[in-house]
Amino acid sequence: MRDKKDLKVVGTSLPRVDGVQKVRGRAVYAPDFELPRMLFAKVLWSDRAHAKIVRLDASKALKAPGVAAVVSAVDAPQNRYGVYLKDQLIFASGKVRHIGEPVAAVAAESEQAAEEALKLIEVEYDDLPTVFDPFEAQNDSAPIIHPDLETYEATYSKVAYDNVALYTHLSVGDTEKGFTEADHIFEDEYKTQAMYQGYVEPRACVVGFDQRDKLTVWTSNQQIAECHAEMAAALDIPMTEVRVVGTALGGGFGGKLKTHVEPIAALLAKKSGRPVKIVLTREEDMIASRARPPYTIRLKTGVTKDGRITARETELVADCGGYSDHVIGTMGLAVTFAQGAYKIPNCDVKGYVIYTNNPNYSCMRGYGAHQIDFANESQMDMIASRMGWDPVEFRRKNLIEDGDVLVSTQPITEVTISQTMDEALRRSEWNKKGKRKKERKENVYYGIGIGNTIINMGLLSSSAMIKFNGDGTASILTSVMDLGTGNHTALIQIAAEELGMLAEQINIAEIDSDTSPYDLGQIASRTIFDAGNAVRLAAKNAREKLYESAAELLQVPEDDLDSEGGIIFSRSDRSKEIPIAGVNGYRLWVKGGPVVGSAGWLGKPGFAEIPGEGYPQPPSKTFIFGTHIAEVEVDIETGRVTVLKVTAVHDVGQAVNPLGVQGQIEGGVVQGVGYALMEELQVKDGVIQNPDFLNYRMPTTLDIPEIDPVILEIPSEYGPFGAKGLGEPVMMGVVPAIANAIENATGVRVTEVPITAERYLQAMKKKE
Amino acid sequence: MIEIVLTVNGIQQKLAVSPEERLLDVLRDRLGLVGTKEGCGSGDCGACTVLMDGRPVTSCMVLAAAADGADILTIEGLEKNGELHPLQKAFIEEGAVQCGFCTPGMILSSLALLQENPDPDDEAIKRAIAGNLCRCTGYARIFAAIKTAAERMRSDA
Repeated sequence: MRDKKDLKVVGTSLPRVDGVQKVRGRAVYAPDFELPRMLFAKVLWSDRAHAKIVRLDASKALKAPGVAAVVSAVDAPQNRYGVYLKDQLIFASGKVRHIGEPVAAVAAESEQAAEEALKLIEVEYDDLPTVFDPFEAQNDSAPIIHPDLETYEATYSKVAYDNVALYTHLSVGDTEKGFTEADHIFEDEYKTQAMYQGYVEPRACVVGFDQRDKLTVWTSNQQIAECHAEMAAALDIPMTEVRVVGTALGGGFGGKLKTHVEPIAALLAKKSGRPVKIVLTREEDMIASRARPPYTIRLKTGVTKDGRITARETELVADCGGYSDHVIGTMGLAVTFAQGAYKIPNCDVKGYVIYTNNPNYSCMRGYGAHQIDFANESQMDMIASRMGWDPVEFRRKNLIEDGDVLVSTQPITEVTISQTMDEALRRSEWNKKGKRKKERKENVYYGIGIGNTIINMGLLSSSAMIKFNGDGTASILTSVMDLGTGNHTALIQIAAEELGMLAEQINIAEIDSDTSPYDLGQIASRTIFDAGNAVRLAAKNAREKLYESAAELLQVPEDDLDSEGGIIFSRSDRSKEIPIAGVNGYRLWVKGGPVVGSAGWLGKPGFAEIPGEGYPQPPSKTFIFGTHIAEVEVDIETGRVTVLKVTAVHDVGQAVNPLGVQGQIEGGVVQGVGYALMEELQVKDGVIQNPDFLNYRMPTTLDIPEIDPVILEIPSEYGPFGAKGLGEPVMMGVVPAIANAIENATGVRVTEVPITAERYLQAMKKKE
Repeated sequence: MIEIVLTVNGIQQKLAVSPEERLLDVLRDRLGLVGTKEGCGSGDCGACTVLMDGRPVTSCMVLAAAADGADILTIEGLEKNGELHPLQKAFIEEGAVQCGFCTPGMILSSLALLQENPDPDDEAIKRAIAGNLCRCTGYARIFAAIKTAAERMRSDA
């Protein structure tokens, strides 16, 4: 590996490669994409939470002006698909399980015509008993939402029964013994909300036919390769018969995974023989959303009188709504981090994912690590405050270290939590501020709180190819999208560094399932790490071929060669040099053949290593750590909480593009503020009460704190040039840090997010 | 249908529009100016912001018929002879662009601010773009971009 001091391109804040097209308004997002003779589609969403479909008659809709095709369950293959548990169909078949489930769809010459025709589809429902509470759904009297659950296939060793889509149980050490060693035992319950991803570009796609009449999807999606696989599965066709192309992507945050409306558009395109566009309205996008699932988390933690944690029992219940989707995976991650960033030798965790008739939840940035982090980091402070301990010292005594074993029995590596914590304390002037007078002005109290984060780094596989052009420039082929994070720019920097080229000599090809090699997708903070490793290895593979020929041409040994700025040179004799274009020409016309570098990367394989029941998550290659410190003001009269400042310290191994890293931290912190204080999909009897941006309040410029984004670089042995990712932890620790700061300010503890003024005042009243 | 005349990015357009057609639809569907984005359709996100007679409006809330005679500036009209506007340049340099979907509206709201107040303080910047939602950046880099652009525009003026 090159020494850090030798890095030329990695570590510089290059402007993002798609910046110019975006500021000119010329980047084509899915809602902007058009094809000749394109139809517009509208989807009929279920307005019943749980009902038999007695009759569905689309004949009048089909005769309406401008209508080209109508599709429903009868037009869709009846093979169930899904990420973890295959419980899903394109359209509700026989019954609907939640409001917002697709029932039918119309393609017409205009959006208005499609909308009019939707009203003519006659659906007769017979309502079934409903259940909206994940605890009630586990009662014997609860209606069974998936009577055929037993027959559903899963991508892991499934444990599912009644309304339980997932039961998972992991254990390490001996908790019974651990609790007997404890001097104090604390039991607390936490609740997290359904949170909407809130990307500004609604879900959209166009499905049509390419120049060779192949069914092709143009979509704004975080997982092009997985979307491709699920399209084939949903339509029951070979993967060669469908192609998926990524458009510009207007944010995702876990909301644009696999498929959503793409299979619906495909059925309409096949039936009408014409291209079909679907753009969801904001209301539709929220009602048919796959939001972050609400969790209820119970923690029982034993500590000794000198402040060591001896045991923990954790029980997590997640509501997945009508279909399990990614909620199963979020639980897999949540149980993995039952210990948080702490050494807990005896730990037992049970996770339940429960079907209800609530909307179909899925996942959001932070997956399940976020929910468990809020519970763990809140309880650390609650224990410290009840015992009269300093929350920092209590954490320090128990910090996890290299070699400690997670409840999944996976040993932990590359732990840097004490460094991120120390730096956050120093930067935020914690010691000085902790002593600050609490009451600042009348009824307004100041407080400061801390939140640590741990999450997995490195998830499953990626691949990349690098091909060279006649002029010595190169293109990277990979399936990983750039949902806005700037990772395409960073991947180019990684390739440029490895090849000794300039970033501007390299581009990333359009993401196309026909040509782009597999990548799991832009999820799980994994892009820089996994796709970055694949790109680096592909570049290395290409470089070796280039050096082989350059050595011949320059008459020097290969190990004497280096390259910079697209020139390969002899280290011992700088007068001997040749541009990559020259080497490429030699290979093209004289000897060796054209250079194509390629590589596949699989961070950590398989599920089999983890003992325990029903565990759906693969182990990770390494881990990432961060610390947030929040400073707040609480008005105890109104209950209003204002976040003054957040100090956010993240160890990223090596910042490939520091400006991009800074943007991730700042953006993540603000989403965390939304999570902590403002945002909640309010669901009553299965109906989302606030499906618009007016009533689902996300942070605006008027809601944001001062942010001090701090980048730590402790190189990872496994990452490209030492880099780890950071997409998710940047929004995690800030949430418990705010809850902890509120207690620090006023002595009032709120264990349910978002901490609205109403919840704060309730908690204050309860305390009195 | 209602006959209207608009000037869009300096070019006069004569159109026959239906009573329910929005300015946003005219820009995107009729004139192909898809740089103006639709994020919510209810005036809450600011992604469709354009300048109408120099003032920022959410074009999803303006009926096309009501824009008759107006002078409209969209993101496509900002560059001059292939040269990016200082705001466009600063947004790239300062890292104010991530997914980019809010960017056109954000830049036009910023432009309206700088045309009225060439040297805005932090509070003025916050207020000027409070109606433009950005889910990616956390706004800090956008503030930096607006300040950088303001400074350059002042020194060029």
